[in-house]
Amino acid sequence: MTPNSEEFLTLLNQAEVEYVVIGGVALVAHGSARATFDLDVCYKHSKENIEKLCRALQPFHPRLRGAPLDLPFRFDSKTVTAGLNFALATDLGDFNLLGEVAGLGSYDAVYKSSQHKKVENISCRVLSLDGLYRAKSAAGRNKDIEALKEIKGLKELKERLQEE
Amino acid sequence: MTPKQRKLAYELITNPPPGSDLAAAKEYGIDLTLLVENLDLTVAERLRKLYSVATFLEKMRKTTGIGK
Repeated sequence: MTPNSEEFLTLLNQAEVEYVVIGGVALVAHGSARATFDLDVCYKHSKENIEKLCRALQPFHPRLRGAPLDLPFRFDSKTVTAGLNFALATDLGDFNLLGEVAGLGSYDAVYKSSQHKKVENISCRVLSLDGLYRAKSAAGRNKDIEALKEIKGLKELKERLQEE
Repeated sequence: MTPKQRKLAYELITNPPPGSDLAAAKEYGIDLTLLVENLDLTVAERLRKLYSVATFLEKMRKTTGIGK
């Protein structure tokens, strides 16, 4: 299910979760014309932040995406602390929670490569175009080749328009 | 985007500077007109457009799924 990004980000902000929007939604926030069906978020893998994240998401029944429905899974602090990256389906839509991002590293490195974006009354951190380029280069998937071309073109277009 | 920026954007995507990243993207098949349209929107408008398109595509996908 496609998540409503604004709804999800509001939820994380209300819970004071430390996160950075990455992936396809971050690309779209910068102006990309790509469609994506899930929301990728890099979160700080600290005890306090994991507790906030779990409290915020638990009411929306997170389960492991693609796993059998009868597979035991509890989205709680213990599970998230023991793991790192989770592909989740929830009542709000599909989300990928990443404790670290290939090409960048853990949350602190991702945060340093992010920038503040205001989505009307929602404030959030979004991975920069340079950060997205590094992450997609490191991911090395065939589907990212097109994204890399688009990121470089978009970056040049924005830079040239800013000069105007 | 100001009218002057919009004019420049269309000049750039119609005739990207040779050897530029824009030229490479166009040659690869990236629709640069969509990028210009998106740059004219606010971040909130871009996300809503994505949500609208993705929701519609998902409905389409469900109508052609297994057993349909």
